[in-house]
Amino acid sequence: MRPDQKMTTAGRRHLITGVAVSSGIAIGPAQFINRRDNAIIVRQRIRPEEVAAETARLDAAVETLVREFSEAQAQLRDQAAKGSRESREQADIIEAHIMICRDPKLLGLARSNISEREISAEWGWEKAVQEMLAAFANIDSPYLRERAADLQAVSSRVTACLRGNRLRLSAHTAPKIFFAHDLTPADTLALAPENIIALVTEMGGKTSHTGILARSLRIPCVVGCPGLEEAVIDEALVIVDGINGFVIINPREAELAEYREQQSRFSLYESDIRKQAALPAESVDGVRVSVYGNLETSRESVLLKEFGGEGVGLYRTEFGFLSRHNLPTENELFEDYRRIVEEMAPHSVVLRTLDAGADKMIGQRQRVEEENPALGLRAIRYCMRHQDIFRRQLRAMLRASVYGNAAIMFPMISGLSELRLAKSILSEVKQELDNEGTEYNRHLPLGSMIELPAAVFVAEALAREVDFFSIGTNDLIQYSLGIDRGNKYVSYLYQPLHPAIILAIKHVVDMARQAGISVCVCGEMAADPYSLAVLLGMGIDEFSVTPRLIPFVKNLIRRSDVAEFRDLARQVYRQNSAESVLRLIRQNIYGRFSGELSFFAAMTGSEI
Amino acid sequence: MSQMRENSASESFSATVTIMDNYGLHARPAANLARTAQAFKSEIRLISGDQTADAKSILDLLSLAAGRNTELTLECNGEDAPEAGETLLKLFQDKFNL
Repeated sequence: MRPDQKMTTAGRRHLITGVAVSSGIAIGPAQFINRRDNAIIVRQRIRPEEVAAETARLDAAVETLVREFSEAQAQLRDQAAKGSRESREQADIIEAHIMICRDPKLLGLARSNISEREISAEWGWEKAVQEMLAAFANIDSPYLRERAADLQAVSSRVTACLRGNRLRLSAHTAPKIFFAHDLTPADTLALAPENIIALVTEMGGKTSHTGILARSLRIPCVVGCPGLEEAVIDEALVIVDGINGFVIINPREAELAEYREQQSRFSLYESDIRKQAALPAESVDGVRVSVYGNLETSRESVLLKEFGGEGVGLYRTEFGFLSRHNLPTENELFEDYRRIVEEMAPHSVVLRTLDAGADKMIGQRQRVEEENPALGLRAIRYCMRHQDIFRRQLRAMLRASVYGNAAIMFPMISGLSELRLAKSILSEVKQELDNEGTEYNRHLPLGSMIELPAAVFVAEALAREVDFFSIGTNDLIQYSLGIDRGNKYVSYLYQPLHPAIILAIKHVVDMARQAGISVCVCGEMAADPYSLAVLLGMGIDEFSVTPRLIPFVKNLIRRSDVAEFRDLARQVYRQNSAESVLRLIRQNIYGRFSGELSFFAAMTGSEI
Repeated sequence: MSQMRENSASESFSATVTIMDNYGLHARPAANLARTAQAFKSEIRLISGDQTADAKSILDLLSLAAGRNTELTLECNGEDAPEAGETLLKLFQDKFNL
C-alpha cells in the first residue's frame, strides 16, 4: 500500500467498532498521541496556503536544534582541547547528530511530505523519519541499529522543538478525545486529566490499563479499534460511544443530535445518584455494607472521597514502577504510600504488592521472553525472583503504616508455601526495621488475593495464614473459565455468573467465615446488579470498585433486601448454567432495581 | 522523488574508491564525507553494488553499510563536478581526516 492511500479524505464519516471499557458518551475533537516516544504528533491536514508556514516551522525547529547541538559541541571541544578524550568522542557524536538534523535527503522528504500531501510539519517529519528508518531496518548490523537509534533520538528532539514552536498553541490546551495506537501507563500520566474527554486505542482489551484509568477518570473509553490510525485526523469531530463500543468519526447531523440527547440523560442520572454518594450503604433490612475504591495513584483519593468511598480496598502499586525508567527508591515509594494512607485515615487502605509482570518492567530488569505472560513471571512470582524490589516495597509499606490505617496484600497467591514464603520475607523485613528502630504498625493486617482457582481450592489453609481475603473477580473469572476477556472470539464466554464462579466465591466465603476472617469482593463484578444481588445474598459485606461506580453500588445496596437475596442465592447455587442463573436473578431483582438496570448495564458496559 | 535537475553546464566525474578506515563507513567518516560533499553544487553519488547513496546525506551513506575494503563508485555531476570529485577522492585517501 502506498502511504498516501492510507489517508482518508477529511470530512468522511467513519464508524469503527471496538471494545467498550469505560462507559459514557463523549463528543469532541480528536488528538492523536504518538506512542513510541511519548510525544504528541499533530497529525493534521493543512490548506495549500499553509504549506509555506509549515515548512518554515520545520526549518526553524531544525535550526533551533542545530544551535543547541552546536553550543553543546563547542563546550565539549573546549574540554577536548584540554585533553579530554571522552569529550572529543561526545563532540564527534554530536557532529553526527547535527549532520542527521541537516540531512538533505531527510529534510527533502519531510518538505515534500508537507507540500505534496498537505500535512502538518510534525506529521511530514515523522513520515520522512519512518522512511529513512525503513532503509536501516533492511540491514542486519548492530552498528546500524544504533544509528537508527541516533536518528530516532534526533527525530523526537525535532518533534519536541516543533511542539515548542507550535502555531496553534491554543488548540492543544483545550479538552480533546485522545487517540493512540496503544497507551502505556507512562503515556497516560503525561496527559493532563482535565483535558481528556475520552480515550480510544487501536490495541488493548477489556482489562487493559487504559480502561482502568479511563474508568477512574470517569471518561468514556473504547479499545481494540482496528484501523484507527488511518481513519483519524487531528481535530476531526468524533463521537465516542463507550456503551456500545462505537467510535464515529465525522458523524452525521442526526447522529450528533441523538448522541447529545443521550449524553444529557446519562449525566442527569449520574448526577442524581452522586448527590447521595455520601450516604451509607445500608440495605432496606438494615445490613450495613462497606464500599471501597480501587485506586491506581494517590492523586485519585480526592475522586474517591467525592464518590463516597469508605476507604481503599485495593491500592495498585504498579504505577509507581511503570511510569519511569529506573527503579523507584524506598523513600519515593514510602512517600507515595504515606500520602494515600494519611489522606484516607481513619479509613483503611489496602496496599497490594507489585502485580506487574516481567513484560511490563522494561528498563529495570532484563526482559524475559514468555510465551504466555498471563501464566508467567508476574505478581508475587516476580517479587519472589526479584526479592530486592519486594523488600524495598514492603519496607516502604510498613514505614507508611504508622500514618493511618494500612493493610498489606499479596497478589496471585497460588498455594500455601508461596504465601508462607512471602510472609517469611515480610517477617524478615519487620525484623530489619526493629533492629533499626524504625516504627511500623505491629498489628498491620495481612491479606491474600484470591484470584487463581488453585487458591480457591486451598482457601481453607490460606485462611488460617491471613487476616483477610480479597477476591479478584476479573482474574478469577478469566483463569477459571480459561477466557481472555479481551479476545473477541471468546469474550462471549466471560460469564461472571457461571455456576463455577458462583460456587468458587461461595467456597471462599465459607472458608473465610469458618476461620473468622473478612472477605472483600474486588472488581467489576461487584458493580453489576445481577452479581451484586447474589454476592449480598452470600453474606459479603465489603466491596471494592473503581471510584466512579461507588455511588451506583451504594444506591443499589440501599434498595436491596439482603434477607430476600439470601433466599435467591440459595436457589442460584442449584442452577447449572449461566443462562438459568441469569433468568432466575432477573425475575427476582427486576421489581427492586427496575430503573437502575438499563443505566447500570450502560455504566458497566455489561451486556446483560 | 522525481525532481529533475537542469544540468546545462554539466560536467561529470567518476572514480573507484576503497574504504580504508578500519571500521568502514561509520558515523564519523560518513559525517565528514557528507559535510564535504555538501560544500559542492554537484550531485554526488556513491554506488555500492546495486545501491546508490546521496553523498550529501549522512543517513544515506550509513545505509550503504559499507565495511573496510569495500569498493565504491564515486560519481559527480554538475558544474563543479571535477573539483568535487578530486576533493572527495583525497578525503578517502586520507581516511576522512580522522
